[in-house]
Amino acid sequence: MLQAPDTYPIDRPPLKSTISMAYTLTPGRAAGTFMVETGKRRFVGSRCVSSGLVCVPAQDFCPRTGGADIELVVAPEAGTLTGFTQTAAGILATIRIDGADFDFVHKIVDSSLVDLKIGARVQAVWADASTQSILDISGFQLAPNAPIGKIAPLSDPADPLPMKPYPLDLHYEHAFGPFYGRLFDEIGSRHRIMGVRSTSGEGVLIPPREFDDISFTRTGTWVTLPDTGTVSAMSVIHLEFRGQKEPPPYIYAEIQLDGAVTRLIHSIKGIDMSRASELVKPGTRVRAVWSTSRTGSLSDISHFEPIPELNSANATDM
Amino acid sequence: MSRHVGIVGIGQTHHARRRTDVSQAGLVREAVDRALADAKLTIDDIDSIVIATGPVLFAAVNMPEKWVVDACGGRLKPVVRVTSGGGTGLAGALAGYYQIAGGQHERVLVVAYDKLSEGNLQYSISTLYDPFWGREFAVGIMGFSAAYWRARMDVLGHTEEAAAMVSVKNHKNALKNPYAHVKKVITVDDVMKSRPLAWPIKLLDVPPISDGAAAIVLSSEKMAAKSTDRPAWIRGMGYFCEADNAASRSMLVSEPLALAARRVYRAAGITDPRRQFDVVEVQEPYTCFELSYYESLGLCAPGEAAELIASGATEIDGDIPVNPSGGCMGANPIGATGLIRLIEAAAQVMGKAGDHQIPNAKLALAQSGGGWANLRGVAVLSA
Repeated sequence: MLQAPDTYPIDRPPLKSTISMAYTLTPGRAAGTFMVETGKRRFVGSRCVSSGLVCVPAQDFCPRTGGADIELVVAPEAGTLTGFTQTAAGILATIRIDGADFDFVHKIVDSSLVDLKIGARVQAVWADASTQSILDISGFQLAPNAPIGKIAPLSDPADPLPMKPYPLDLHYEHAFGPFYGRLFDEIGSRHRIMGVRSTSGEGVLIPPREFDDISFTRTGTWVTLPDTGTVSAMSVIHLEFRGQKEPPPYIYAEIQLDGAVTRLIHSIKGIDMSRASELVKPGTRVRAVWSTSRTGSLSDISHFEPIPELNSANATDM
Repeated sequence: MSRHVGIVGIGQTHHARRRTDVSQAGLVREAVDRALADAKLTIDDIDSIVIATGPVLFAAVNMPEKWVVDACGGRLKPVVRVTSGGGTGLAGALAGYYQIAGGQHERVLVVAYDKLSEGNLQYSISTLYDPFWGREFAVGIMGFSAAYWRARMDVLGHTEEAAAMVSVKNHKNALKNPYAHVKKVITVDDVMKSRPLAWPIKLLDVPPISDGAAAIVLSSEKMAAKSTDRPAWIRGMGYFCEADNAASRSMLVSEPLALAARRVYRAAGITDPRRQFDVVEVQEPYTCFELSYYESLGLCAPGEAAELIASGATEIDGDIPVNPSGGCMGANPIGATGLIRLIEAAAQVMGKAGDHQIPNAKLALAQSGGGWANLRGVAVLSA
């Protein structure tokens, strides 16, 4: 009978993580034309020739039939309120533009909720400056006397916008949980790497976990691992890329700490990088070099470096 | 007893580094139109649709199936989205296959795509790493892949030269593929001297980043004749997984791929893959993987992949051609890539592979996979 792991809740704040993506989206013909034409204060819709249905703002495919036989049209700037709701960002509404067969969502400006009624007439309010987006219309305002508009052909359509920058920052907070909590607590406070025994007792699982992946039974007791290990795989990184933490070249290594049966990913330094591929190989013995920082993350290990006396084949090279 | 399922229509876009003339939805539509036309069907004939795309961070559109549903004719039909990293395309086809084999539907449209030009590929792949445990060292999938290739060099002899031969072969084959967008003649020396990115992976070991979509129509035996008298019958298909960070996991050989191959070969009556298959399509995210797959798929014994590529056996005119389409080297819209491999294998046994047709191909193998080499699948197709 294995002893239950002596794991306890660790009061660590969640790990904050931000993923910052620099997207460049291609809107396609209909939306791309719409976005450019808003700069000229023309409101572009699409008519599907086979179904006769009109969509405002313009879409490449008929929302009802999927038809791709689309002609672009100029839509009126007035329509009817079909639904609305108050949000923290203001009043959002579904609007049916005159002559259109489908609703779309936009903001209501210069009105309060009590003034609104389903079926009320509304009119677009153009923004002062163009951003080549649907926000060129800053919103719709009540316009009881707005005449019923008509869909008209689009003359001299602009070339569609080929791409639009769309930076996206995604902020996450990851909970550590008791196993990762203790792991990183030990790393941060004591510069000590701890795993848990696998159910078979034949090795140490790191990062520690509640269940053994192979047998799906509860793991065993906590074990302190040495900060030495063996390189199981390595590559020399020359590539520069977004989000990179250190300038290349450096060694990406998967390391099996002595006694562990899983891998730890880190970098290897402390060698002549021009000879990196000779000096570090699968089988090279390495030791963790601790950083002076104590953040409770893997970066408290500054890097790993080869242990010269244990790398007999390489000993003369070090 | 499951029902027979055939591929009766195939279609793909002319892949490109960047398509600025269509949105993701427009890209999907092109592939769907081509697959339906090839199957002599309209969207009204389709009972159900599977949409397959890569990780959502590739494209900035969460739940893209709701956006592309108009473009693929999915309104008021059963639609599910399947995603499984690099193996997404094959996983999507598998989901469609089950729907027909299980008797739920007669015809299923499977469409797979990615518009990789719109995102930051390696960065978004790096987010597949555990945020606590290794993400800060992640180099997309490239650092990991290069590291275990380095390990395979020592144990299995997968040399840089052998991988370079894979690149030369696939680039050469892509010249004949009208849908490929990388068309260049290169030599082993060019590959060896190309810029190291994550050594031993060098620039010419790496496929392009592409925008592209692919679609197939799957049909029951009963309905297949309306589309073609020569479907590509699915003789077996499987997709297996192993734990990401389990004890003593071997990264040197792909255990899930070997398992998938064993199971599917048994179902399809394959006992000697090298002799029985007329053509093979594999998804090689980097050249080193093609060498590894030769061994896991049983085209040669472990440790003999370098010899196999050097022998010329896997060339388009060899006895076991691998990637006559050019594989990923011609185009690599990741979410679509697995389905493109299946389409290329199907085109071979349907006799419509054009300039890269293997004469009289009757039995084809397609491979695809994703994740940290831990999701791997195969399909066996016959005329």
